[in-house]
Amino acid sequence: MVLEATMICVDNSEWMRNGDYSPTRFQAQADAVNLICGAKTQSNPENTVGVLTMAGKGVRVLVTPTSDLGKILACMHGLEVGGECNLAAGIQVAQLALKHRQNKKQQQRIIVFVGSPVKYDKKVLEMIGRKLKKNSVALDIVNFGEEDEGKSEKLEALLAAVNNNDSSHIVHVPSGSNALSDVLISTPIFTGDGEGGSGFAAAAAAAAAGGVSGFDFGVDPNLDPELALALRVSMEEERARQEAAAKKAAEEASKQEKGGEQPSASQDATMTENVSAAAPGAEDKTSDLMDDENALLQQALAMSMDDPAASVVTRDTDMSEAAAEDQDLALALQLSVQEGSKDQASQTDMSQLLADQSFVSSILASLPGVDPNDPSVKDLLASMQSQSESEKKDDEDKAPKEDSK
Amino acid sequence: MSAESASATQKTLADLLDFVDWSGVECLNQSTSHSLANALKQGYREDEGLNLESDADEQLLIYIPFTQVIKLHSIAINGTEEEGPKTVKLFANREHMGFSNVNDFPPSDAVVLSLDNLKGKPVVLKYVKFQNVRSLTIFVEDNQSGSEVTKIQKIVLYGTTVETTDMKGLKKIEDH
Repeated sequence: MVLEATMICVDNSEWMRNGDYSPTRFQAQADAVNLICGAKTQSNPENTVGVLTMAGKGVRVLVTPTSDLGKILACMHGLEVGGECNLAAGIQVAQLALKHRQNKKQQQRIIVFVGSPVKYDKKVLEMIGRKLKKNSVALDIVNFGEEDEGKSEKLEALLAAVNNNDSSHIVHVPSGSNALSDVLISTPIFTGDGEGGSGFAAAAAAAAAGGVSGFDFGVDPNLDPELALALRVSMEEERARQEAAAKKAAEEASKQEKGGEQPSASQDATMTENVSAAAPGAEDKTSDLMDDENALLQQALAMSMDDPAASVVTRDTDMSEAAAEDQDLALALQLSVQEGSKDQASQTDMSQLLADQSFVSSILASLPGVDPNDPSVKDLLASMQSQSESEKKDDEDKAPKEDSK
Repeated sequence: MSAESASATQKTLADLLDFVDWSGVECLNQSTSHSLANALKQGYREDEGLNLESDADEQLLIYIPFTQVIKLHSIAINGTEEEGPKTVKLFANREHMGFSNVNDFPPSDAVVLSLDNLKGKPVVLKYVKFQNVRSLTIFVEDNQSGSEVTKIQKIVLYGTTVETTDMKGLKKIEDH
């Protein structure tokens, strides 16, 4: 959570028209800039970011360091490509802009995108680097675009001159299918020397990955966390019910561990956090997937009962892609459970309610699209009833907690 | 009059280390392994092996804010014969200076340190200029031998406080 003022130097020279980064070098750069601004402002709300362009008619400061993300994004919009990049002047102007930052407590950082060839020689760059180091300004260099004779060497020399205690970094991004922003996400430029922006980075990474790999239910948890969670919950509830019928003993042990955590979350509409993992990150058990209809039905029942702990433990075997977020969510879920109700008593409650056939059928009748006479529904009810009886037996063994809602 | 005030302060000169506001202390161009604490802090500065060293070049810019307003009488800077500082400029009450604007203002006092000074003899400053000091900026311009690195072993500030409310202990105050 380093308090930082950052100046981003954007290369908008003619070299940026090239399409070797999709869609164009300039567009890739703009995306990266937007991401960086977001990451910086998220990691610490008092961070400020400013942007300047190095090419065009000359070095021009588009926005002085501000914490207003909207302003930054607005100025990135409608930038024109043209002219030649003036790296030395750009860095010096950035340094000046940082010097006049409002909050003197902020650390100074410059992020420079070098896409065109570097026409300055090493000596000049080293001098600039030393001056930056003297004024305790950190420098991050993104080397992309043109692969010039000695460009990498010069930039490495610049980095060596500036680098004070590993606070400055250089990233070489080769052209190719990977977007510039994706490559940058994993670098220390984003993660801020290992601390800070990791939350944002993880979210961004998940979003990026999600777009490619797809999710269980075709719903991106980042876009619609509650729906994704509800679907996942219903899936797992059904799986869990099946397991309960099959292996009571094993379930008892795990029930005690994490009974109502995850279901309570499903009821919690205020859970707007980045919820994609419903499982508390427990041990995995392979189980068969019930068909969706039953699963959704379970979920609907649970929700209509307005009962936080609708069912037993959740198992999750398909959560590999969102694994990174499981732990955070597990923690969040656990916390919410402490405040919410516990599983045992409510489970007993739930089982009793479910056992009441008439009640259940009336509920079902009220649900749109569910025909109580549907054989699958009847089967379900029967299985639920038998299961609720077995659950009752289990519950009596445990010490029931107060049912608090 | 200055003699009187000088003698008056002689009785009550204190080491102003207690009044340094450590949260705001900054030093530009210091090397990370040899930082300002080595020269200023109580235990460290006595240790001859621990120095404040400059990094990219021989200049240093030290900013010391105080917790209360003080009067600065003299300063003692210890260093080695060759790499100790030579020309030192002091600025009172200028916040957040940088190397670029350090020559824009006339210093409150400028001192050329002799070898004696480097052994610990305090340099008496223009007391009238340091009557109401909230923060002190020390700009070390060059060192004795002109080497790339300036090393400072100890910095001691001598002076008195202005306010009467001194919670730390009982000190004689000259003003009322």
